[in-house]
Amino acid sequence: MSCLIRSVKKTFTLILLVCLTSIFLTGCWDRAEVNDLALILAAGIDKGKKNNIELSAQIFIPKPSQSGQQSEMSAGGSSGQSFVRSAEGETIADAMARLQEELTREIFWGQNEVLIIGEKLAKEGIIDQIDFWMRHSEPRIRADVFVSKGRSKTVLKAMPELENDTSKQLRKIVKTHIGVKVTAKDLSQMLSGESDAAVLPWVEYLDPSMMDSKKAIPIINGAAIFKKGKMVGRLDDKKTRGILWPRNEIKSGVITISFKNEKGYISLKLLQSHNELIPSLKNGKWSMHIKTSADMEVIQNTTKRNLFNPKVIKEAQQKIEFEIEQRERLAFSEVQKKLNADIFGFADEFERKYPQEWKQKKAEWNEIFPQVAVTFDTKVTIKRTGLGTEKQ
Amino acid sequence: MKFLGNGKKKFDFPSKQLNESLDTLPEIPLEPELNKNIQILKSAYKDCSDVVFREFIISSNINALLLYIDGLSNTEEIDQHVLKPLIQMKSYDLGAIFENTKKEISVSDVKEIYAITDIFKQISIGNPIILIDKQTRGISIGLPKWEKRSIKEPDAESVIRGPREGFIETLRVNTSLLRRKIRHPLLKMKQIDIGRYTETQVIVAYIEGVANSFLVDEVTSRLKRIKIDGILESGYIEEMIQDYPFSPFPQVLTTERPDVASASLLEGRVVILIDGTPITLIAPCTFASLLQAPEDYYNHFYISTFIRWLRYLFFFIALLAPSAYVAILTFHQEMLPTSLLLTIAESREQIPFPALVEAFIMEITFEALREAGVRLPKQVGAAVSIVGALVIGQAATAAGLVSSPMVMVVAITGVASFLMPRYATGISIRILRFPIMILSGVLGLLGVMLGITAIVAHLCTLKSFGVPYFNSTAPLKIHNLKDVLIRAPWWAMDTRPDFFSQDTSYLRRESSTQKPGPSKGGDGS
Repeated sequence: MSCLIRSVKKTFTLILLVCLTSIFLTGCWDRAEVNDLALILAAGIDKGKKNNIELSAQIFIPKPSQSGQQSEMSAGGSSGQSFVRSAEGETIADAMARLQEELTREIFWGQNEVLIIGEKLAKEGIIDQIDFWMRHSEPRIRADVFVSKGRSKTVLKAMPELENDTSKQLRKIVKTHIGVKVTAKDLSQMLSGESDAAVLPWVEYLDPSMMDSKKAIPIINGAAIFKKGKMVGRLDDKKTRGILWPRNEIKSGVITISFKNEKGYISLKLLQSHNELIPSLKNGKWSMHIKTSADMEVIQNTTKRNLFNPKVIKEAQQKIEFEIEQRERLAFSEVQKKLNADIFGFADEFERKYPQEWKQKKAEWNEIFPQVAVTFDTKVTIKRTGLGTEKQ
Repeated sequence: MKFLGNGKKKFDFPSKQLNESLDTLPEIPLEPELNKNIQILKSAYKDCSDVVFREFIISSNINALLLYIDGLSNTEEIDQHVLKPLIQMKSYDLGAIFENTKKEISVSDVKEIYAITDIFKQISIGNPIILIDKQTRGISIGLPKWEKRSIKEPDAESVIRGPREGFIETLRVNTSLLRRKIRHPLLKMKQIDIGRYTETQVIVAYIEGVANSFLVDEVTSRLKRIKIDGILESGYIEEMIQDYPFSPFPQVLTTERPDVASASLLEGRVVILIDGTPITLIAPCTFASLLQAPEDYYNHFYISTFIRWLRYLFFFIALLAPSAYVAILTFHQEMLPTSLLLTIAESREQIPFPALVEAFIMEITFEALREAGVRLPKQVGAAVSIVGALVIGQAATAAGLVSSPMVMVVAITGVASFLMPRYATGISIRILRFPIMILSGVLGLLGVMLGITAIVAHLCTLKSFGVPYFNSTAPLKIHNLKDVLIRAPWWAMDTRPDFFSQDTSYLRRESSTQKPGPSKGGDGS
C-alpha cells in the first residue's frame, strides 16, 4: 500500500516537474544581444518631402576598443561615434519600419533620451506623433523633447564640442534648468490637460561666428509655445525665464539689480524658490494670485552700499521682488495676451478649486484666459551677504 | 555469528553484518590460562607486524604478557615505569599478584579489563596491556603517545584579532583545548565510537543546562544511527546527520577554531569533535550563523555590524552578479544608464558569444582556477595565479574572447564569494550561481526572481536539528536579532540565541545592567 502511494507520489512529482519546465518555453522570445541592437541616442521628426513624416535617428556606432595594450576606451576621438539616418513614412512607426530596412541591427529605443521636433512639423501639430512615444513600450517616456529651428535632422547631425553627440549635449543643457525641461510624459500631460497648451525648449545653433569651422553647436534659446497641439509662437530667452517662475521650475539663476541714481550693481544667486498659484473666482471675475517666495545669496556687490545694514537689505529685497515680477509680467503679456496659451496650468487650478463653475465655463476658457487678472505677491529673502569687506 | 569458537582460535572476522563494531561484539571473557589468551590474541592480530607481544616473568615464576601497538604507546615510559618495576618486583603468591602488580606500575591511568574485546580497543588507542597468568583480568595502562601536529593557527579561518590556536587531528588535544576554555564541570563530553573498522572516537560536547536536552538527545541518537565502515573526516558524519540531505546549503556548521567551538557551546549549541580531523561540527546551524565570523565578536561592534552588512550585501552579489549582468544585457538594456550601455556595447562589439555563454566561460574558468589553486603544490601555485591573472584579465579581453565588463563582474563575484566567512556558505553560493545564470539567460530578470523565490522557499523549509534555518527572522524572535541585524555590544548581548522558543529567562547569559560609563557601574548613576 505504502509502495503504491510512493509511486503515485513519484509520478505526481514527475508530472509537476515536466509542467514546471514549460515555464522555460516562454523564455528567450525578447532576447537580444547588445551586439545586435542599433542603439538610438536621439530621434528627430520632421515634415517629410513625399510622405507625412520623416524620422531621423542618431544611432550609436559601437567602435570596438583598440585591441592591444593600454586600449584607452573612453579617450578615443569624440567625433564619428554615431551617425544619422532617416526614413520617411506615414507615421513614425511606419518610418521606423522603413529605417529598419536599411539597418543590419534591430532598432532599440530604450536608450533614446532626446526627441527633437522640427519647426515645420511642430506648427502642423504634434499630438499624433507623441502618441507613438506614449503607446510604444520601448521609447522612454522620460525622454526630453525639443523643438528645433529648421529641420531636426540638422540638429542631430551637429557636432558639439564638449560632448560626444547632440543627444548628450541637449540632455545636459536641459538638466541645468536654465530653460524649461519637458519630458515626453510632461508633454503628453500638458497636451491632455484642461489648458491644452504646452511649452517646449527651443533649439538653435550657436552664432556661426562663434563656431569652429563646420561644427554646429546646438543650444537652447527660449521656448516654443504650443496650443491645441500646434506651435503658435516662441519666447526668447528672457521671457522663458519669466515663465519659469509661475511654473515653479526655476532652480538656479543670477539676478542683477541696480539702484536708481547710483553706480554699480548687486548680483544675487537664487538658492531656492517656491511658487504657488491661487485662483479666485468672484462675481464672475477670474483672477489668479501668484505667490512667490525665494531665498537669495549675494555673490557680488559693486555698489557703495553696506549690506550689513538691514535697511539696505530691505531695499535690495524690494528691488529684486520688483525685478522678478517684472520678468513675470513680461512673460504674461506675451503668453497670456498675445498667444493666449495657458502654459501655466491655470485651467487645472481653476478646475480643482471651482469644479462646478469650471464645468459650465470650460468651453469658454479660450476667451476667459486672456482676461484672467494676474496679481503677484513676491517675497524675497536675502539669506547671506557673503564674505567680502563692505565699502564705507 | 561465530567469533571465537569456544576457545578455539577460529576467527570469522570480518563478518558481513554492518552493525558489528567492537562495541557490539559479544564479550569474550579472558581465559585463566595466559597461553590461551596469547593464542587468541595472536590469531586475532595475525599478520599485524606493528603489534608487540612481550612475554616476561614477574614474581620470579609467573608468566606475564605486555601487549601494545608499536608507535601508539610511549615505549620509553613503558620500559621505565612498567617493565622495569615489574621484572624487579618481589615474589607474591598467585592470589595477591594482580593487586601488587597494579601497585608496582607507576602510571596514573591504570584500568582493569576483563574481556578480549576490551584489549582490542585499549591497545588501538595506545594503552598497553598487561596480562598475567592465571588471572581473568588484565591491566590497561594509559601511556598512549603518537606523533601529532603542533597546534597552529588554522589557515582556512585566520583572524587578525583573536586566538591563534586551532584544532588538530588528535581528539584528546582538541578536547583539552575546549576544556581549557570552559572549565566548568557542566561541560560534558559524551563519547561515541563510530565506524566498524576505524572505531573513530566521536565526542559530543555540550554544556548541560545551556544546550537544550532535546538537541543533545537528537544529536546523540543521530550519531548512534550511523553504521559505516569508517569515519575519516567530519564530512562523513555531516552528511549522515543532515536533516535535508539534498539541500545545497550546509546544515551543520564547521570550524577549526576552539574559540568558535567554545562560543557555540556557550550559545547552547552542540559541538561534535571527531578524532583524526581538525574540523569539528556545530549544530544547529542557522542562516545567520553562516555569515558570522569569529572576529565579529572580538572587534568593535560598529565595525562588526558594518562588516556583517557588507557580507549580507556581497552574499547577494556573489549569488546574483553574473546572472543580473546577463539578464540586463540580453533582456533589459534600457535599465542601464545610457553612457554605461554605450561603453559595454563598445567593449562587447567584437565578442562572438552571447552574454550568457560569455558569463559561463568566465565563471567556469574562474572555478577551475580556484580549484587548481587549492589542489596544486605551493611551488606551482604561483604559476597558477599568474596564469589566472592573465586568463581572467587583460589577456582574455585583448584576445576578444570576453568583454572587460564581464571580467569585472566575474572578479567582483569572486571577491564576494571569498567574503563568506564559512567555506561551506561559499560552496552553496558557487553551486547555485549556475542555475540562476541559466534562468537569467532564458527569462531575464524574471528568471532571476524565479530563482531567488525558489531559493528562499527552500531555505524557509530547511531545518537544522529542529531549528528553522531562518530562525530569529522567520520565525521572528526580536531578542535574537541583536546578533543578526547588528552585532550588539557585549554588555547588551544579554541572552543566548533562542533556538527552541524558550522563555528568555532561561536564555539569560549575563546581567543586563552592565553598560559601562564614566561613572563606574553603568548608565544610570
